[in-house]
Amino acid sequence: MTYTYIKFESQTQGEKARSLLNKNNIKSHLRRNPNPDRKQGCNFALFVDGNVWKAYEIITVADIKSSGVETYRERL
Amino acid sequence: MIYLDNGATTYPKPCSVSESVMNALRFTAGSPGRGGHSQTIKAGETVYRTREIIAEMFSCESENVIFTDNCTTSLNTAIKGVCKKGDRVLTSSLEHNSVLRPLEKLREKGIISFGIFRVSPQNDEETLEGIRSLMSLKPKAIVCTFASNVFGTVLPIERIGRLCRESDVIFIVDGAQAAGSIKIDMKKMNIDILCLPGHKGLYGPMGTGLMLLSGRVMPEELTQGGTGSYSMDEKQPHSVPDRYESGTLNFPGIAGLYSGVRFIRSCGGEDAVHGKEMELIDILESDLSAVRHIRLYPEMKSALRSPILSFNVDGFHSEEVSSLLDKCGVAVRAGYHCAKLAHESYGTSEIGCVRVTPGFFNTKKDIKNFVFYCNKIAMRQKI
Repeated sequence: MTYTYIKFESQTQGEKARSLLNKNNIKSHLRRNPNPDRKQGCNFALFVDGNVWKAYEIITVADIKSSGVETYRERL
Repeated sequence: MIYLDNGATTYPKPCSVSESVMNALRFTAGSPGRGGHSQTIKAGETVYRTREIIAEMFSCESENVIFTDNCTTSLNTAIKGVCKKGDRVLTSSLEHNSVLRPLEKLREKGIISFGIFRVSPQNDEETLEGIRSLMSLKPKAIVCTFASNVFGTVLPIERIGRLCRESDVIFIVDGAQAAGSIKIDMKKMNIDILCLPGHKGLYGPMGTGLMLLSGRVMPEELTQGGTGSYSMDEKQPHSVPDRYESGTLNFPGIAGLYSGVRFIRSCGGEDAVHGKEMELIDILESDLSAVRHIRLYPEMKSALRSPILSFNVDGFHSEEVSSLLDKCGVAVRAGYHCAKLAHESYGTSEIGCVRVTPGFFNTKKDIKNFVFYCNKIAMRQKI
């Protein structure tokens, strides 16, 4: 299964984004990023129910700091 | 027991607060912001919800809500994180030692110098004039309390904030005796850093404190360590709140604080809480002023007051009065209240004073009973 998600450096920023999306009637859930960049270390992934790019746009317009959109293929 | 020491810590806590603390301890197995299992994410959600509700209450961004151990830790971070070698700071004549001592420590080390402006309880213009006259010192910051922890005097915070913004001075406020019962709006009041305890007017558990940032000023953090983010970087992250929150958070405390803030909302907000507490203060003031040998402070009232009333009984040290009241099952705070400057300002340095701070759960009957015991003490009748 392949997932596309929005990446955040901290849970606070991820939760802030989730709260904003919720106010826009977009459901999402936050998880630890299963595929972190070694240089950056631990971070968080926001999985969006629906159009991830639309969600990303809402987050970006609201000036919530994210590290972009990423795709991950689950191996098991 | 008649508990009238809510200025030290509110008691009782709402049931929802103790339930939240208990639930956090019993049912949440994760450390917020650390790891990826569902329990830790759930804990992180609660922590964020608490940031959000506090940000709404004080008008700041949710990520600028920093959790600390207590208001003193917040003030130390704010003061020591902002002040650099050669800086000048202004503070008020009513400060608690949580402001005075960090400033004194920095002065002792030769890092800063600071000046003290006098607070005139009945005349805000006079207070502001005092600040304006010290502005020629070109201070980097003004650090002051929102309300005196001994006399309840409220400073003209909004006007001081405006003055700070016009002069590009950083404004740090100790909101310990105001938060929860007087509305504090960081944006409207131009407050750059607001330091708060969680366990007083916000009805959270002890061990919770807050440092709220406007975003205009980012003090240096005093502690470095694990934040659950940027883990492969040996440098402390600059992003908030992580920069200031190294180490495991007090999750049960934060969960309780969330319920405390919700409780204030459910009561109708700060104005409703203040109204109820001031009604008790008014009764107290009126009844105690009729008792011979009792001297009330402040004799000069400010227009807006924090729900605090202090007094002395002629011929008694304040601690003796408190001790006698304790025998009657009454809890008040006597002595010097960690506030040397305030006692010097009001001329109570010799014997301190007895501070009475009713809370939301006190009743008129509590106040009437309290006055009855005070009357006995003043009349030197056996209790």
